[in-house]
Amino acid sequence: MTESDVHTLTGPYVLDALPEDERTLFEAHLAGCTFCATEVAELREAAVKLATQVATPPPPSLKPNVLAAIDHVRQVPPLVAGHRGAPARKRFTRRSVLTLAAAALAVAGVGGVAVDQYREKTDAVQANDQITAVLAQPDARTVRGPVAGGGQATIVMSPSADEAVVVLNDLPRLRAGRTWQLWMIDPSKTAHSVGLASGDVTRVLDGSVTGMIAFGLTNEPDGGSATPSQPAAATIPMT
Amino acid sequence: MTEPTALPWPAGPHTRPGEVSDGDLLARAAGGDTAAFSTLYDRVTPWVFGLVRRILRNPAQSEEVTQEVMIDVWRTATRFDPHRGSAHAWILTIAHRRAVDRVRSEQAAADRTELIGARSAEVDFDQVADTVTTRLESEQVRRCLDTLTDLQRESITLAYYNGYTYPEVAQRLDAKLPTIKARMRDGLIRLRDCLGTTKGRTS
Repeated sequence: MTESDVHTLTGPYVLDALPEDERTLFEAHLAGCTFCATEVAELREAAVKLATQVATPPPPSLKPNVLAAIDHVRQVPPLVAGHRGAPARKRFTRRSVLTLAAAALAVAGVGGVAVDQYREKTDAVQANDQITAVLAQPDARTVRGPVAGGGQATIVMSPSADEAVVVLNDLPRLRAGRTWQLWMIDPSKTAHSVGLASGDVTRVLDGSVTGMIAFGLTNEPDGGSATPSQPAAATIPMT
Repeated sequence: MTEPTALPWPAGPHTRPGEVSDGDLLARAAGGDTAAFSTLYDRVTPWVFGLVRRILRNPAQSEEVTQEVMIDVWRTATRFDPHRGSAHAWILTIAHRRAVDRVRSEQAAADRTELIGARSAEVDFDQVADTVTTRLESEQVRRCLDTLTDLQRESITLAYYNGYTYPEVAQRLDAKLPTIKARMRDGLIRLRDCLGTTKGRTS
């Protein structure tokens, strides 16, 4: 599978239309692909709406059976998670990480359902949590745009939380001695550097997003520049 | 969401103002609250059962799988993470996966071809539960499905309602594999944008 192939698999994956071997491969990829995980979550919300077209009440006799059965079914232990903004926020301790690992193993026996929800939290997955935390804000918005030379920049922002997450994916390879530089552009068209990246990245942007009108991406010498080199690789309006 | 008459999707399909959300009920069920689970059962099983029956066809098997799904929801409710999607999506994902796994495991490779012909691509729209909320929601979904190209719509519905893999869908629609993969993805993206589900993570 080529890289671009893998990304188109979000569609068939959400529809449970991948043959078993490809499903396994894609789930392995998903664990480290923040962009895919976000897209899977979004497309899944859309796909499950298809069930509205076929809703049918089950026979009434089913409910007592289920309620009787759960009396004898032990609930699996919760995963210990470290979401920002989650009500039961916990720190990662050595113990909780071990619990997490044990729980991840236990999940394997649950039938591999909705695996992306249960993944042990790699750095990439934690980055995804940050995105979903921003996305969960009632005023969250997503803007996207192409990057010159290939790839895409996506910005998820919440004015109320004054936070934004940027996702850069499938960017062209940088020449030696070059770096990507990320900018926020204010209404006077002044660019404020918000960080450097060596390639595809997902990160919460440093600094305020309030009042900013655009996101910019430029190709700069290593270490970055004080002012953005033109032409920019991407300029994405945020208003 | 472009239509002024559209429903506020993030509230979820069963939630009226002031009503406890599916997500809250699921969280309470995760704490061992069987009464909350019972309410949740009433709200979601029409969707679960309808979907499972659409995929499996056999009513007895569909009841069995629905029961398994709801017991699974109870058992793994502790794993539900509202930051990663709605309760509704979580439950229906479990239901869809289980129904599809069942239909595939029961079909020997040899009879797949025959069954591909036998399983219909038609959706029984008249099965839709007849309440105002579900009817409005169902109409919106249908309207959004109509905005898809024929190939996008057929690729998605054959996979979702019939449990076909994308190679089977490609065979049935006489299209190339990469085309079908891409149509499933861009069709779902269009559906997502039409339904405005991007941020629908609160229920």
